[in-house]
Amino acid sequence: MLLLPALIPVLLLSVYPLVHGIVLGFTDAQAGYNRPVHFNGIENYARLMSNELFWSSFRVGVIWALSVTVLQFLAALGLALLLNQNLRFRGAARVLALIPWAIPPVIIAIIWRLMLNPTAGPVNSALAAVGLPHDINWLGDPTFALPAVIVVGVWAGMPQTTVVLLAGLQNVRSDLHEAAALDGAGALRRFWHVTLPSLRPVIFAITTLDFIWNFNQFALVYVLTAGGPGGQTMLPMLFAYNEAFKYGNFGYASAMGNVMVVLIALTLVFYLRHQAKERQS
Amino acid sequence: MKRRSTLAAVLVPALAVALGGCTSDASAGRVELTFLSVAFQDATVEATDDIIQSWNEAHPDIQVTVLQSNYDDVHDQLVTQFQSNTPADLIYNEASDLAGFAHQGYLADLSPLLSEELREDIPEKYWDIVTIDDRVIAAPTLVQSYVVFANTKLLSEAGVAMPSETSLSWSSLRELASSLTTESRYGVGWGLRQPASAMMNTALNYGGTFFDVDSDGSATIEVDDAELAVPDQVHGMLFEDGSMDPTSVTQSTAEVVPGFFAGDYAMFIGASYLAQQLTEGAPEGFSFSVLPPLAGDRGAAQAANPQTLSIAAQSPHQAEAAEFLEYFMAAEHISRLGQSDWLRPVPTSALEHLEQATAEIPVWRPLLETGADLVGAPFTRALDYPQWKLQYATPGLQKYFAGSLSREELAAFWSDGWASISDQ
Repeated sequence: MLLLPALIPVLLLSVYPLVHGIVLGFTDAQAGYNRPVHFNGIENYARLMSNELFWSSFRVGVIWALSVTVLQFLAALGLALLLNQNLRFRGAARVLALIPWAIPPVIIAIIWRLMLNPTAGPVNSALAAVGLPHDINWLGDPTFALPAVIVVGVWAGMPQTTVVLLAGLQNVRSDLHEAAALDGAGALRRFWHVTLPSLRPVIFAITTLDFIWNFNQFALVYVLTAGGPGGQTMLPMLFAYNEAFKYGNFGYASAMGNVMVVLIALTLVFYLRHQAKERQS
Repeated sequence: MKRRSTLAAVLVPALAVALGGCTSDASAGRVELTFLSVAFQDATVEATDDIIQSWNEAHPDIQVTVLQSNYDDVHDQLVTQFQSNTPADLIYNEASDLAGFAHQGYLADLSPLLSEELREDIPEKYWDIVTIDDRVIAAPTLVQSYVVFANTKLLSEAGVAMPSETSLSWSSLRELASSLTTESRYGVGWGLRQPASAMMNTALNYGGTFFDVDSDGSATIEVDDAELAVPDQVHGMLFEDGSMDPTSVTQSTAEVVPGFFAGDYAMFIGASYLAQQLTEGAPEGFSFSVLPPLAGDRGAAQAANPQTLSIAAQSPHQAEAAEFLEYFMAAEHISRLGQSDWLRPVPTSALEHLEQATAEIPVWRPLLETGADLVGAPFTRALDYPQWKLQYATPGLQKYFAGSLSREELAAFWSDGWASISDQ
């Protein structure tokens, strides 16, 4: 009896839009006053196969999501190990590390636009102060735009990864460390043979989630570069957004969404399976 | 059982409020209209508000409220509003963004609604721009043109006289820019982060029309010397003359203005509305003027892409909206908007009003002269232009100006891109 009222919001706000979106991907829905909508089977997908711009944006999306996830993980692991030590001002440091989490992505993007401004930004001023080349047009130059956006993505997503890894680190049993130390294992070997194996489930969980989040990132890049220059940072989400809300091709854009979900799900299935096998062996 | 009815008692009115909130014509007979505005400069926002307020005071039974938008988001916002059947009754936008909506049937045909006076007040060439499929889908209000602003102090320091011809050829501009380039400064800057509109509008200097448009909005593209002439001039200033600041080309117009104030470049190309920001934000002792209209081998013609006021086809109050539209188009209103945005009014009466009001301000003369040569361009009527602009014109130009695309590659990218969009 009590289940029903709890289900209503889920059905209304979650299941209905989801199903609607999936179904839309098999129709010719387009903007137009009183325009009828017809099912068109797999026509959208056949068209999508030959849409070079979509696939090149998909490539950008994979490069972006992979690099951000890997770099984020490495940086966050370092930070988590540091914050796990008995440092002075540890509490303050932990709070500082969390701050990017509290800033909305749009604001993060605006802050970084100012930071990376080619003429007046602090990044180029800092490079100039230490005598490095300081006329780099971070977000405007096709060579630098994607790397620059990736750095911002890593910065923005580090807090949650750090927090999760830190929680994992605090669950590593200290008696294992003590036993390994007694057997003469140094810090590096203990990290490799004690810390990492115990952390493994946490690592799978957080990198998987990070990959999904990063692939679906929208606001950050929309504000930073809007996909430019020359399509270098056109993530698939931006591409589908444009298809729907700039060109009014709702059916086609939903089809892109469906394709992305399926491909990402497949990637994750392989990743998790591979990891599960490795754990068994 | 009791619990369920309590829940229903809470939920049902809440839902009713949520769903009914959109159409709240509570007091009988009173009509509420919404006005989607894209005004973004303070003075223009204020002028728009004043016009609407004075209307509201005089018409207690037709009340207008403003819905603020901006040029970057207005298209996406309209797509969503039309689709969800909740568009603003009155839509302020620009002509090149309207062709798609017009063909989709979202914009009301104004021909039966407009007064004879207003019809005659606006030149026929402008009615042509906003007539799609024999339907008048908007009333044109103001037009912008691209002009060259010059830092008068730097020009006189360099011993360069202000050009006094009736027009300034692109080659003269390049000479001028080269002679103003020094170790620490470029001759000219141009905020071309979104380069497509500027290039399409000025292409007519060389007769670059790009499209051949049919009455149903379908079009074929031709990219030839005329279409590439202005991008070539920019490319030449960047890579041959070294007289244009390469950073400015990747920045938005707003980001380039501070560089102009700081003397990073002696001249600066941009749309006429920037005169407002130059007047408002200029530091002490800074003075600027506007050079004569830029001209190619076909004269100083630029594409007219006027700002427009439309009425939504879905609006239940089209007649009332048309009444407001007539009021909004009055000479003194359009003239005031023109002055606050530094744009040339389209209606003849408003243009005369503005000419009188600004007779004492010399910068207005070259601005108005540049505006006189505006003509309709095919791209404002091509159905797929917005998509081509975003997917091909913009990235192609960005790459061309960054030196990573050759002239031939740019031409092919544009033509092939148009073909791939039209095929869909």
